[in-house]
Amino acid sequence: MATKKPERFDQVDWSELSESGRLDLSINSIGMVITSLPVVLLGLYDWRFIGDRTDTFEFIGLSRNLESLDYFFIFTLLLFFFYLILPLAQNPRMTKYYWKEFKRNRPAVVSLGWLLIVFAGGLLGPLVISAPEQDILIGHQPPVFLSVDAANVANCVGDIVGGQCQGTWEYPLGTTRGGKSVFTSIIYGMTISMQIAFITTTIVAAIGISFGTVSAYAGGWVDEVLMRFVDIILSFPTLLMFLLILYIYGAGLGMFILVFSLFAWGGTARYVRSKSLSVSEEEYIKASRISGASTYRVVRKHVVPNTASSIITQLTLLIPGFLLAEAQLAFLGLGDSNIPSWGQLISAGRSDLAFAPWIVLAPGIVLFLTILAFNFLGDALLDALNPEAEAESE
Amino acid sequence: MGLGRYITARVAWAAVVSLIIVTITFVLLAAAPNPSIREAATQAALQGGDPAAAAERERELRGLNEPLHVRYLDFLQSVYTLDWGWSQHRSQPVTEALWEGLYYTAQYSIPWTILTVILGPIVGVYSAANMYSWKDHAATGFAFFGYAIPNFFFGIILLLIFGVWLDVIPVVYDTSVPLFSLDNVIQLIIPVFVLVTGSIGATMRVSRNESAEFQNSDFMKTAKAKGVSPLRAYAYHVMRPTLVPLSTTLVGQLLALFLGSSLLVEVVFGIPGLGRLTFDALVAQDTNLVLGATLVFTFIAVVGNLVEDLVFTILDPRISYDDR
Amino acid sequence: MSTAEPLLEVEDLTTTFSTDDGELMAVDGIDFSVDSGETVCIVGESGSGKTVATESITRIVKSPPGHVEGSVRFKGQDLLEMSEPELRDIRGYEIAHIFQNPQEAMNHCYTVGWQIMEALQIHRDVSNEEARAKAVDLLDKVGIANASSRFDDHPHEFSGGQKQRVMIAMALVGDPDLLIADEPTTALDVTVQAQILRLLDDLQEEFDMGILFVTHDLGVVAEIADRIIVMYAGKVMERGGVLDIFDHPAHPYTQQLLNCLPDIGGNTGGIPGKLPDPHDPPDGCRFAARCDHTIDACRTGQQPEEVEVNPGQKASCVYYRPAHDDSVIRDGIQNTEPDTTEVGSADD
Repeated sequence: MATKKPERFDQVDWSELSESGRLDLSINSIGMVITSLPVVLLGLYDWRFIGDRTDTFEFIGLSRNLESLDYFFIFTLLLFFFYLILPLAQNPRMTKYYWKEFKRNRPAVVSLGWLLIVFAGGLLGPLVISAPEQDILIGHQPPVFLSVDAANVANCVGDIVGGQCQGTWEYPLGTTRGGKSVFTSIIYGMTISMQIAFITTTIVAAIGISFGTVSAYAGGWVDEVLMRFVDIILSFPTLLMFLLILYIYGAGLGMFILVFSLFAWGGTARYVRSKSLSVSEEEYIKASRISGASTYRVVRKHVVPNTASSIITQLTLLIPGFLLAEAQLAFLGLGDSNIPSWGQLISAGRSDLAFAPWIVLAPGIVLFLTILAFNFLGDALLDALNPEAEAESE
Repeated sequence: MGLGRYITARVAWAAVVSLIIVTITFVLLAAAPNPSIREAATQAALQGGDPAAAAERERELRGLNEPLHVRYLDFLQSVYTLDWGWSQHRSQPVTEALWEGLYYTAQYSIPWTILTVILGPIVGVYSAANMYSWKDHAATGFAFFGYAIPNFFFGIILLLIFGVWLDVIPVVYDTSVPLFSLDNVIQLIIPVFVLVTGSIGATMRVSRNESAEFQNSDFMKTAKAKGVSPLRAYAYHVMRPTLVPLSTTLVGQLLALFLGSSLLVEVVFGIPGLGRLTFDALVAQDTNLVLGATLVFTFIAVVGNLVEDLVFTILDPRISYDDR
Repeated sequence: MSTAEPLLEVEDLTTTFSTDDGELMAVDGIDFSVDSGETVCIVGESGSGKTVATESITRIVKSPPGHVEGSVRFKGQDLLEMSEPELRDIRGYEIAHIFQNPQEAMNHCYTVGWQIMEALQIHRDVSNEEARAKAVDLLDKVGIANASSRFDDHPHEFSGGQKQRVMIAMALVGDPDLLIADEPTTALDVTVQAQILRLLDDLQEEFDMGILFVTHDLGVVAEIADRIIVMYAGKVMERGGVLDIFDHPAHPYTQQLLNCLPDIGGNTGGIPGKLPDPHDPPDGCRFAARCDHTIDACRTGQQPEEVEVNPGQKASCVYYRPAHDDSVIRDGIQNTEPDTTEVGSADD
């Protein structure tokens, strides 16, 4: 038996309690407000003062336009930074402990590495690499180190050796029928995937946590009604509803993200509710309530930290579903054809599969690895954040 | 008995849920310009007629000038009496078209579901019985591979390998093949395999993790002390309690996969089932058929959730029926 | 007590577990025997190996990682020589087990009737009707009211004491010769505990069973035991008749254990210190590190051989060797004597 008890991050912080009631913003919230302000202002400026066809950054000479989805994306990134990354840095002890637990699962560490690559690629790639361009003359170039029968390639960029067109570094993963670089398309697809991942999870977390806590603390008929609503949400055939909306109104990536995240928070809400109920039964919560902590405070200081780990795990395991759904729709030709997502690329390459398989294989494998990585990560988080289960299984 | 009342209440609730979803469908339809009206107007304009008058005629024809609540009640009535209209694209009643689609969907869905439901828990429990051995790692690896690889992508790859390169399976689905024939088995093997790999992983993982707890339980020790053989102990004392938590996720998992993947797998393999039908209807702008397909899938989802809840209640003797 | 070969005779029973940190020796070469109709109690604090010792008898210890050696003679056969299938015929039929936690010991998915019938039907080819009749009969025998209607209830519909009764009924399906009861009353409250002990006592008489009873509760021992085996860290420290041991415990460990009894010693704080590391047991007496009388001889060699201190009472302590003066230890007995006689005599 260890004589020293590990530090619990759910302990009552009496100094905090005594000042409850005042509006006190943590450094995280201050940072969040300060950094999101310019984004909001830029968004307003973009919306009110610039024409649809003008690039957002034209006033400083940059030819880069921001869509409303991009604003959301930046906002969620800021949230992610200030409420997930920063707290980890603020609590080095806890971080170290989690990291130690997490590190034991090697596939998960590799997965995290891969996701970081996708994240960085999606974030920075579009800034340094120009968008893939259509050039019908250089269609069907093979990937580097590979070669195909020159007869299948209209205009081989690399050398032709013995009737075989060789791949070049210019197009490391080859090109599509339209001559778009597959590599560049995949990098741009990372942005789309990251946008889907971040925005959906933010919406799911926000709605799920609010619903769950309100339901738990209101109790009575409010609880009953809200939970019945969750039942409906959970038994809703989301993909079909999306197809119907798509059919009637047409839908882009924004609508996709909205519909899918609006129907995905049921599990989170249920979980947060049951956790809030059990947490409010704990002695230390009763103690802090007696000493005058408001419900809001209890939720923010105790329920959210106690449920955060499980919510993060749940969300990690939700993301692959969204990515898959987007890819499926894109593959069916029902996705947003204006965006260079992986699914679009797979769909585009399907007809050329027999002689240019890289167009399908490259994005397909990237998609597979990303979904796999999210699953491994979720599984590892489940173990790392649930020491009891780990102890039991050993 | 509380069970009877519980089932009644749960069935009633399923009816309410289906009503709500149907209502949402109606709202979505009512709030949008009806494509057939636009089409009528376009037709009229192309033929030199008056587009506005044509649109009006079409509205009249479809009863769109009625007050909203009358249209709503009409809509409900036709939905629940299975009067789902005429499919223009298929030139047959919608229900008939859906019925035909179901025939092909069932051909691969039934073997797929049975295989998943039987193999998933068995492999999962086996994996837990050999936890942390190479067998467990192999099963886990397979599970992760299965649910991480997108079904449609996997299907394409297998079709490329076995259909195009090795030429052992037909690339195009043949509807003229008799239902119970070797040819039918051969052409359905890959779609079923793809779907099973996709769905079995989740079932395996849940069974593995849930059964781990029961394997080290006191009642397993009791069973051993009673003289129960290991095989019987696993079959009765581990598998049975594992089915309880499994039942809460299994149906949901299968349904999600059914809705999503039947569409994809049918498109990839060219099976003219419900999913393919939906897809074709979407492309052909056949509103009645799109609506009909949506309703079928919705009802399957609602019934699936109902079955899931009932199975769970029946499987777990500890649950009290009043409390839910 | 019979003078012929005992019902169960355990010799040099050793149970080890392979763990990540090396071999763990839970039971280290112990001997004991149980006669028909007799109740033998194994006492000791948690972690002393008593449960593992009893589970090694019919090899229900989890194996691997567990590994059982030695000899366990039951009605003339060596159980440890038997194959798994042969042993399965004996488990639950000739040797039955009941466990500490009746809440968890039954499968929550099946009715109690099903679970009793299972115990019977895996051993004997009886029809469902016969099995049911027998199960109802047994439920009735262990004091479940309305046995035939409660047959179809699930375990969660029974109270803790009733569950233990059901477990006992399940154990009786084969009229067992030996009942191994592993702390069967620990999880129950005191009044229920007394009822269960009385039930076991009655059933023992009716079925002429030997009972091997594991407990750390000396109050229970006083009520039920004929003979006592005191275990510590996988070794037997002392053994003897219940009256002898309560009246004049010979081993310092036994003395300290008795001191912990609330109504006797007044030392309610337990014995200071903790059990030695089972991965690497110390030389000499296992109890040396916590004993008040430790001398150099205690820390070398093996656990001391058991020496007969009184007729039928043996202790494993260096002080009882001829070369040592055992008065130090014997003096310790005097303090507890007046009260213990009272407790001891409560046993009939």
